[in-house]
Amino acid sequence: MAPPAQSQKSASPSQPSGKGEVSDVKMQLRQLAGSRSPGTDDAKRELFKKVISYMTIGIDVSSVFSEMVMCSATSDIVLKKMCYLYVGNYAKYNPDLALLTINFLQRDCKDEDPMIRGLALRSLCSLRVANLVEYLVGPLGTGLKDGNSYVRMVAAIGVLKLYHISASTCMDADFPAMLKHLMLNDKDAQVVANCLTSLQEIWGLEASTSEEAARERETLLSKPVIYYFLNRIKEFSEWAQCIVLDLVAKYVPSDSNEIFDVMNLLEDRLQHANGAVVLATIKMFLQLTLSMTDVHQQVYERIKAPLLTLVSSGSPEQSYAVLSHLHLLVMRAPFIFSSDYKHFYCQYNEPFYVKKLKLEMLTAVANESNTYDIVTELCEYAANVDIPMARESIRAVGKIALQQYDVNAIVDRLLQFLEMEKEHVTAETLVLVKDLLRKYPQWSHDCIAVVGNISSKNVQEPKAKAALIWMLGEYAQDMQDAPYILESLIENWDEEHSAEVRLHLLTAIMKCFLRRPPETQKALGAALAAGLADFHQDVHDRALFYYRLLKYNVTVAERVVDPPKQAVSVFADTQSSEIKDRIFDEFNSLSVVYQKPSYMFTDKEHRGPFEFSEELGNLSIDTELADNVVPAQRVEANDKDLLLSTSEKEDNHGASNNSSAYNAPSYDGSRMVAASQAQQDLVSLDQPPPADVPASLAIDDLLGLGLPVAPSPAPSPPALKLNAKAVLDPNSFQQKWRQLPLAASQEISMNPQGVSCIVKSSGSSSAYARSFHPLHCFRWSSPELQVLFLRTKRGRAFYLSCGLYFNRLCPNLVCLRDQSWKKMIE
Amino acid sequence: MPVAASAIYFLNLRGDVLINRLYRDDVGGNMVDAFRTHIMQTKELGTCPVRQIGGCSFFYMRISNVYIVIVVSSNANVACAFKFVVEAVSLFKSYFGGTFDEDAIRNNFVLIYELLDEILDFGYPQNLSPEILKLYITQEGVRSPFSSKPVDRPVPNATLQVTGAVGWRREGLVYKKNEVFLDIVESVNLLMSSKGSVLRCDVTGKILMKCFLSGMPDLKLGLNDKIGLEKESQIKSRPTKSGKTIELDDVTFHQCVNLTRFNSEKTVSFVPPDGEFELMKYRITEGVNLPFRVLPTIKELGRTRMEVNVKVKSVFGAKMFALGVVVKIPVPKQTAKVNFQVTSGRAKYNPSIDCLVWKIRKFPGQTEPTLSAEVELISTITEKKSWTRPPIQMEFQVPMFTASGLRVRFLKVWEKSGYNTVEWVRYITKAGSYEVRC
Repeated sequence: MAPPAQSQKSASPSQPSGKGEVSDVKMQLRQLAGSRSPGTDDAKRELFKKVISYMTIGIDVSSVFSEMVMCSATSDIVLKKMCYLYVGNYAKYNPDLALLTINFLQRDCKDEDPMIRGLALRSLCSLRVANLVEYLVGPLGTGLKDGNSYVRMVAAIGVLKLYHISASTCMDADFPAMLKHLMLNDKDAQVVANCLTSLQEIWGLEASTSEEAARERETLLSKPVIYYFLNRIKEFSEWAQCIVLDLVAKYVPSDSNEIFDVMNLLEDRLQHANGAVVLATIKMFLQLTLSMTDVHQQVYERIKAPLLTLVSSGSPEQSYAVLSHLHLLVMRAPFIFSSDYKHFYCQYNEPFYVKKLKLEMLTAVANESNTYDIVTELCEYAANVDIPMARESIRAVGKIALQQYDVNAIVDRLLQFLEMEKEHVTAETLVLVKDLLRKYPQWSHDCIAVVGNISSKNVQEPKAKAALIWMLGEYAQDMQDAPYILESLIENWDEEHSAEVRLHLLTAIMKCFLRRPPETQKALGAALAAGLADFHQDVHDRALFYYRLLKYNVTVAERVVDPPKQAVSVFADTQSSEIKDRIFDEFNSLSVVYQKPSYMFTDKEHRGPFEFSEELGNLSIDTELADNVVPAQRVEANDKDLLLSTSEKEDNHGASNNSSAYNAPSYDGSRMVAASQAQQDLVSLDQPPPADVPASLAIDDLLGLGLPVAPSPAPSPPALKLNAKAVLDPNSFQQKWRQLPLAASQEISMNPQGVSCIVKSSGSSSAYARSFHPLHCFRWSSPELQVLFLRTKRGRAFYLSCGLYFNRLCPNLVCLRDQSWKKMIE
Repeated sequence: MPVAASAIYFLNLRGDVLINRLYRDDVGGNMVDAFRTHIMQTKELGTCPVRQIGGCSFFYMRISNVYIVIVVSSNANVACAFKFVVEAVSLFKSYFGGTFDEDAIRNNFVLIYELLDEILDFGYPQNLSPEILKLYITQEGVRSPFSSKPVDRPVPNATLQVTGAVGWRREGLVYKKNEVFLDIVESVNLLMSSKGSVLRCDVTGKILMKCFLSGMPDLKLGLNDKIGLEKESQIKSRPTKSGKTIELDDVTFHQCVNLTRFNSEKTVSFVPPDGEFELMKYRITEGVNLPFRVLPTIKELGRTRMEVNVKVKSVFGAKMFALGVVVKIPVPKQTAKVNFQVTSGRAKYNPSIDCLVWKIRKFPGQTEPTLSAEVELISTITEKKSWTRPPIQMEFQVPMFTASGLRVRFLKVWEKSGYNTVEWVRYITKAGSYEVRC
C-alpha cells in the first residue's frame, strides 16, 4: 500500500512529519473501535478531528484507514461526515481498503434519515475508485428516485461523478435519460439545476464521439426546454440562475418577437444583487441581439448602469473581473462609456491590477470631447510615486495621442514629462515620442528640440535608449549634435549590454552617415568594426551586411537603409478580429480576463508555449522528398492564399507543402516600416549578390552536421520576391499548421555544441541553451532556402524553434516562444 | 460552465494550508505547492488575482490574514467565482460570529469542511444561504432536521427549504415583539483636484435590514426616488408632493425582492429573510451633497521647510455632527519635526504612513476648524527630485445624514395575523475614498 506521493510532498518543512502522532492516533482509534461506553463519540470526535487536521496540513494519514472505517459505525452525523471526508480523500490511493467502506456507505444510503442517505451517496460517488463503480449504480438509481429532494440533488451530481470515473458505466445504466426526465419534471429547483449541470457536462463531453449525445445536447437548446427553464427561473438559487442564463445565451430564437419576449422576461435580472447573475444576464442580452444592430446598441445603453455599479461595489478582485469585461465591451463599442469616463479615474488606494485596467478603459473611451480631461487626469498619475503606475499612465497618454487627430496638446504634455527629469518617466516618454513621430512626422521639429536636450547618459533602459538612438539617426540632419552623440555611444560599445540598442546604433549611424558623411565617417567605421567583432550573431550580421552594402554601392545602401518613409497610419493590431469575436462569444469567462479564446489555455496542444504532442515530435523526414525544389513562384504568392491552395495541391506536391507555411513575415513592431521597405528593396535587387556566401556555410557549420566547409559558390538564385505585407498571427498560423498534412519529416540528432551555437545566435539567453535536454531537430533544404526546426524541452514546456534561411541572405534564427511568432529577414 | 472549482484552499500568510478540499480529479493534488511557489513566494503576489499556471487557473483573494484560492481547469466564470468566495466568507462569518481569520478557521475547521461539502458539490455552487444551512449545520455539531425524534424537529419541512422556492425564509417564526430595523448606509467617494473642482464624485449606498417578524410577512418600502414617486402619482392621479426627489443611477436588490413588480410598478416589495440582510444597493452620481470641503494650502519653503494649512468645512446641518473624523495629510518621507496648531481635535505626525493625522472625535455641522503645521525636513543629497504629493484622505461618519438625500418614506408590513410592527430607521454617511489632491 504505497502512500500517496503528493501528500508527502505537500507537507511544508515547517510542519512535523507526524509519524509518531499518526501511530499514536492509530492506537487510540483501535481501542475505541469496539467500545460502546458513553462518551466514546466525544473521544472519537477529538481523534477524528486530529486525523483531519493532519490530513489538511499534508501529513499522510492513510495508514489509519482501516481503523477509521472500523470506528465509522456511529449514529453521530459529525463523526460520519469526518469519516466520509477522510475516506473520500484516501480511497483513491487505497482501492483495496476502499472496498471496506462500500459496505457501510451502502448501508447508510438506505438510512431512514434523508440527510444521511444524501451524505452517504455523495461520499460513495466521491470515492473515485474505478473498480468499485458497480457498487455505485444501484444506490444512484434509487437516489434519483428518492422521495427527498436533498437526496435527488446529491444523486444528480453523483451521476456526473460516476461519469468521470467510468463513462461507459454511466451511459450503460442510462443515467442521462433519467436525469433528463428528472430535469423536466422535478418540482425542486435545485434538483433541476443539478440535473442540468450534469447533463451539460456529460453530453458536452460525449458529443464528440456519439451522435446521439450531440443531438441531446442540441435538445437542451430547443424551444420547449428553454421556455421550461425561463418559466421557472425565479425558483432557482442565484447560482443556478447563472447556469440557466448561460444556457439561454446559447439559444437561437426564431424571430425578433421571441427575442424581445425573452429579454422582457429577464430584464429584471439586471437588478439582482448577485453580480454573477447580472453578468450572465448581460451576456445573454448581448448574444441574443447580435443579429439586430440597433437593438444591440440599445442593449449597450441598458447594461451600462449595472456594469458601472458592479465595478464600484464589491472587492477589488470582483472589480477586476468586471473591468476586464468592460474593456472587452468598450473595444467593440467605444461610445458606450465615453460620457462616464470619470468612473474610471483611479483611487489612490486601489490595487495596481485594478488601476491598470482603469487606465486601459480611459484610453479606450477617449474621444474628441473628453480627451482633455482624461489626459489631464493621466498626467496626475504620471507624477505618481508608484513607478509601474506612472509608466502605465504615460503609455496611456501615448496611446491616446496615437488614436486622436488633435494631438497638439498631448505632445506638449509628453514633452513636459521629459522635463520632469525622472528616469522612468523619461524612458517611457522617449519610447512614445518615437512612436508618435512615426505617425505624425510633422511634429518632429518640436519634439527634436526637446529630445536633443536629453543627455543620453540619463537614459539607461534599453527600450528608451533604442528609441533615442533611432531618433538621433532618423533626424540626424535636424539635430546638430547627432553624429557626436552617436559617436560617444559607439565609443562605449562594449559597455552596451543590450543587443537591441547595438542594432539600433548600427542603423542610426548608417542613416547619419548617409546624410552627413564627413562628420560621421569615422564613427561609422568604428561602429562597423565593433559590430563585426560583436559576439551577438544579429549584430555581427547586420554590421557585415551594412559593410557589404556600402562596399557594393552607396546609392543602393541608401535605398535599403534610409529610403523615404511614409507615416504609419495605423499601428498593427495585435489581435485579429476573429479572435476578438471568439472572446466575445465566451463573454463572462476566463477568456475575457486572459484576453484570449479558451482553446488557447484549456486545450492541451495550445497550452504553454507551443506544446507538442509526442507523435509530432518524432518527425521523420524522407530526405529525398525534402530535396524537391520549391518552385520560386510559390513563395511569391501571398502566404494566406498559398496556405489555402496547398491543401488542394497536396497530392501533387506532397513534400514541399510545409514550407509555404513559414513564409509569413511579421515584423518586429518597432522597426516595421524600415524593415519592410528594406526587405522589398533587398529581395528585388536585380543584380545577383556577391558570389561568396559565407553566411549560409557558417550555418551548416554551426549545425555541426559535419558538412564540408569548403567554399563553393552558391547557385545563382532566381529572383525571389516576398510579399511585404504578409502577416500571419500566431493562432491562425497554428491552426493552419495543424491542418497541413504531414508531408515529410526527418529526425536528426545533433551534437550539443552545434545546437548551443544556434541558440546563442538566436539571441536567447544562455540559460535557455543549457537547458536543452531531449531534442529533436529537423532540417529541410532546397537551393534557395533552408528550414530548420528544433524541438526542445524545458521543464514541462516544449519549445519549437524554427529557423528559416535564405541561402543568400544572412541567417536568422527565430524562436517561437510564448506563442509569439516573430520573424525577421534581414 | 459557471464555476466547477476543482479545488479550494485556505492558506495563511505564511503559506500553510488551513483548509484543503479537492472536488475534482482534473487537477493534481499538489496545486497548493504550485500556488506557493509561483504566486505566494514571488513578487506576483497581489499583482493580479487571476493567474494561469500550467493548465490550471488560480483565483485568489486575501481576506484578513487568509488567502482563499480556487483552482479551476476549465474556462470558468471568473466573476461568479469571486462572488462565490465573497458569499462563502460571509457565510463563514455568520457562523463564527462575525470574524473570519486564521484563528477562526483553525478553531472551526471541521465545521468549514462540512460547509464546503454543502456549498459546493463536484465544484458547482449549491445553496449558500446561511438561514437555510443553519437549519441543519450548527455550531454545536450537525443536527439532522430529518431525525426521527420529534424533539429535534424545529422545522418540519426543512428539506423543502434546503432546496425550495422561498429559500430565504422558513415558516413558523414567532416573535413577541415584531420589529424591523432599517439602516441606510452610504459611502461617498470623492476625488477633488487641487484647484477645488470635483473630478469625480459618487455615492454607493445600501439598505441593511434587520427583521424580527412573525409568520410570512409581505413588506413594501417607499423611497423618495424620482421614478418611483412619478409612478405613484400616476397611479393615484395626484400630483407629487413637493420635496426633494433623487435619481438613482442603478439599483440592485436582494433575491427576496420581487423584481417584476419593481420593474412594472417601481415599488420595492418583498418577503424578507429572518434576521439581518442587505435589502438593496444603489448608486448615485448626480446631486450629491458633500458633507465636507477640504481647503489645503501647502507651501514648500526652501529645501527643508514646509508650511501646511488645511481648513475643513462641514457643510451639513448645524444640528448634526460627524463622528470619527480623520484627515490624513501626506508629507515627504524625510520629515523630521512637525509643529502643529489646530483649532479643534488633535494632530500628530505618523512616520509609518508619512502623514500628518488629524483626528476630530466630534465635528459639528457648519464649522470650519483649521490645522496649520510647520514641517521641518531633513535635507538629503538625493532629494533633487521634487516631491510628488499624494492626495489628502479623509475618514468620517455622519449619522442621520445622507449624501444622496435619500429618505425612507414608508415601510408597510402585511401579515395574515395582522400584528402591529415597530419600524426603526437610521441613516449614516461614511467616507468611501474621499480624496483631495493638494
